[in-house]
Amino acid sequence: MPTPISILQGTLDLMILRTLATLGPKHAYAIATRLEQVSDELLKINQGTLYPALVRLEQNGWIKGIWGKTESNREAKYYTVTKAGLKALEEETQRWRQMAGVMDRLLTEEP
Amino acid sequence: MATDGRSDGQAVDRGTMTQTFLTRTAAKIRNLWRSKRTDKEMDREITLHVELLEEEYRHHGMSPEEARVAARRTLGGTEQARQMHRDARTILWLDDLIRDIQFGIRMMLRNPALSVVAILTLAIGIGACATAFTWINGILLQPLSGVAEPMHLVTVESLTPNGAMVPNSYPDFRDFRDHLRTVEVAAFLPSAFSVGPEGHGERIWGEMVSGNYFAVLGVQPEVGRLFQPMEVPDAPGKSPVAILSDRYWRSHLAADPSIVGKTIRVNQHELTIVGVASPQFHGAIPAVAFDIWIPYMEQSALNGVPLWMLHDRHDRNMLGVARLKPGVTFEQARQEVKALAERMAVANADVSEGMSATLLPLWKSPHGPQGLLLGPLRILMGVCTLLLLIVCANVANLLLARATMREPEFAARLALGASRLRLSRQVLTETLLLTLCGAGLGLAATPWLSHALQLLLPAGNIRQMVFTDVRPNFAVLAFTACSAVLAALISGLVPALRVGRLNLTARLNAAGQSRHAMRSRVGSAFVACEVALAVVTLVGAGLFLRGFRRTLDINPGFNPDHVLLNQFYLSTNGYSLAQRREFCRRLEERMLGAPGVTDVAYSDGIPLGFEPSWWEELEIEGYARHPNENMNIFRNVVSAGYLPLMRIPIVEGRNFTDQDNENSQQRVMIVNQAFVHRFFPESDPIGKKVHGFGEWFRIVGVAADSKYHYLGEPATPYFYVPFRQIYREDMNLAFYVRTRNNPENILSILRTQTRALDPNVTVFDAAPLREFIGASLYPQKVAASLMSVLSTLALLLAAVGLYSVMAYSVAQRTREIGVRMALGASRAHVMRMVVRQGLAMTSLGLAAGLALALVLARGVASISFTNSAMGSSASLMGDSSTDPLVYMAATVFLYFVAAIAALLPARRASAIEPMRALRAE
Repeated sequence: MPTPISILQGTLDLMILRTLATLGPKHAYAIATRLEQVSDELLKINQGTLYPALVRLEQNGWIKGIWGKTESNREAKYYTVTKAGLKALEEETQRWRQMAGVMDRLLTEEP
Repeated sequence: MATDGRSDGQAVDRGTMTQTFLTRTAAKIRNLWRSKRTDKEMDREITLHVELLEEEYRHHGMSPEEARVAARRTLGGTEQARQMHRDARTILWLDDLIRDIQFGIRMMLRNPALSVVAILTLAIGIGACATAFTWINGILLQPLSGVAEPMHLVTVESLTPNGAMVPNSYPDFRDFRDHLRTVEVAAFLPSAFSVGPEGHGERIWGEMVSGNYFAVLGVQPEVGRLFQPMEVPDAPGKSPVAILSDRYWRSHLAADPSIVGKTIRVNQHELTIVGVASPQFHGAIPAVAFDIWIPYMEQSALNGVPLWMLHDRHDRNMLGVARLKPGVTFEQARQEVKALAERMAVANADVSEGMSATLLPLWKSPHGPQGLLLGPLRILMGVCTLLLLIVCANVANLLLARATMREPEFAARLALGASRLRLSRQVLTETLLLTLCGAGLGLAATPWLSHALQLLLPAGNIRQMVFTDVRPNFAVLAFTACSAVLAALISGLVPALRVGRLNLTARLNAAGQSRHAMRSRVGSAFVACEVALAVVTLVGAGLFLRGFRRTLDINPGFNPDHVLLNQFYLSTNGYSLAQRREFCRRLEERMLGAPGVTDVAYSDGIPLGFEPSWWEELEIEGYARHPNENMNIFRNVVSAGYLPLMRIPIVEGRNFTDQDNENSQQRVMIVNQAFVHRFFPESDPIGKKVHGFGEWFRIVGVAADSKYHYLGEPATPYFYVPFRQIYREDMNLAFYVRTRNNPENILSILRTQTRALDPNVTVFDAAPLREFIGASLYPQKVAASLMSVLSTLALLLAAVGLYSVMAYSVAQRTREIGVRMALGASRAHVMRMVVRQGLAMTSLGLAAGLALALVLARGVASISFTNSAMGSSASLMGDSSTDPLVYMAATVFLYFVAAIAALLPARRASAIEPMRALRAE
């Protein structure tokens, strides 16, 4: 297995917001699974990074956590993205794309 | 979120940033007290996560055991995750602080004895500092309240040619008022009034003020209005009005809201009340409360002072206060005043030759209690600081003892991952809790202690008039809070540092001897500090006492013992000049007939009192006056019995007799030896003529020199004139009765006889003369008393500190002592050993203390205090700052106390049974 990529704090936030925006309400385990899935196992989410990120996003008012029941009737906290969160997602996505474009240009530039 | 904004999206980003920040902070604050609930929620989330992971791993084929382990490992340490979650959730340092405080309170309750002792000693130290600061604030820092912009107010003093500060006269004030551009000058005269209906007059202190007084001070009225400059002209009798103080209005008139327009009876005259001053305003003299303000020009009506006297430039009795105009510096104003005064001195050379004037900051003026109190207050502040330091050393020692007991707890926390900084912070927080409790206690006692300010002042008028605003104000609160923080830092520093440097491995080591040795060393260092401070206070007390005794030894030249003094204010009863003289004569007759009375006399001025002295310009027959020579000589107007009562010998000629009265043709005068020395060095003064008070006098006698204004004064020319020949309406009346026994016993007789003569006249503040003249000595006496009290406290605290450290050391060395005794050491030997150790510790502190005391004494010796109402000053300590006797006495006394403190643990050490000691581990 290739070495896992370490994640910057800002990008983890972006990933969580995007996941919730596209897939709807999810609990923490589901988010982590989805991210690992999408990255083909390159991303390993440690709960030391995931939960603080969830707390931060919730404090910023970008996601909201509501307790509900899973299919197997267990109690879980489901997170949904809020309107402010959608707005923040849009801004961050734009910035990410700009940054990615710059990096791309830089790295493929001929000396 | 990454927040490196780009120029195109920057405005939006900033807006969102701020909003997000606010939402986040609000959420964090909310979480401060929702922690339990959020913790539970967190647990549930994580538990679910782990379970789901487990399921997945089992799904992938692992055994349940492996699955569980793998799940946990994937997720990471639960506890640490929880901690990180918590950290993200709240404002970290605030959360920690709350936790520390809760823990600290639990700790305090667990060791009640230690906490109580620490809080009490801190309360004493901080309370003393807070009280001293209240006084300093009320007298020096914010001396006048209820005025506008007090930092622009100054006092105006007239200067005599030899630099003494005297009050101003009304014509001088008018010139200041009319000609000065940089300051606006107002004048006032403190005065006693008899207020109330006929036969029920009460003595009230008030000020007779110039028309612009309230405007210059910027006072606000509470009810009605205040004097306008226009309405109070320079002519008398035109404005029979009065302003009352809030205090008087509430206590005597039940805060009657319709008080404006009503009349009040002052000195048998009706005055109309036009307003009540704001509650904070109490007059223009620091720390003194006045109750009524009346236009100055009403003096002729109220006190029977003839009009020409009010316009006499020579009659200097008004105090001046001035406001700097905006944009003017103090120096500029002072220069203008000086220049104007010098021009006035030339223009009025007949009375003002060589005089000048100056401005002083409010707290520097010699007129009023602040002159007396400045030196003692400075000393008091130093004393309180020392006391606080000693208290802190003691508390630090206590905390160190407790810290040693808690070392296992700290070690465990360190092992579990707490940072050293966190632990040190906790120790400091606990210390701060203790000091804040102590500060709260001390602050609560401050209003009650503040009333003791009166003890710093001499008996008599000043003591009655002084008051301190004991309502807690912001400055005092801030000061107390800072003291508490400072005390916490000082006391808690060493224990906090020690915790920070705790060595885990050494702790786990069973034979932790090094730890105990370290604690002993630090404890010894503290004791040495306490001893040093105690030495400083001992030396200080000794030096002040010696200085005080030396001053007491100065012979005042008269005998003040067994004499009762009472001051009458007959003008408040509407007495004319003739009536006053008659009253005195009759009272003298009656008192002479009372049992035990040997002499009775009366005079205008009181020797060594604290009021400005009067002088008169003389022209002396046969003496050629030098140009610009100041021919103003101090004098007293006395009855015939005065010199004998004071036991001042007549060295030449005769005393006044009853024939020297208003009917005799020739006015007579008695001069003192210094007078003769100056004006009649070669010839005989008897029979010479002297011109003063508008008449020619003949010298009939020479009296021995005595002290007139302050004990340390040089030989001063002085003269006496008979009461019945020269008594003016603006003079005071002091009545003396000498008895064989205690002068206090004669007081009731004096009261009875006075009432028999006139029920309206009250004997108000009679006091033994010796107490009264001590006005010039009070600062020294007070300094000596304060230092004595402090040194007792300091010695006590140092002894207790020494005892505790010695006891601890003995307990630690039990095994060692057991071994020694088993090897043959005698009990006496062991005792000697312990006491020697204690004395060694003491010697270290002693050396440091003596050195420190020497340095401090030199600094303190230069502090002076005003010892007369003319601004002269004397040093508080005398010339004895390096008196070796005091230092030696302090050393001996200290060793004595230290030996006793070390003796108790020594005895316990010698009582150790060797076998028991060796068995115990």
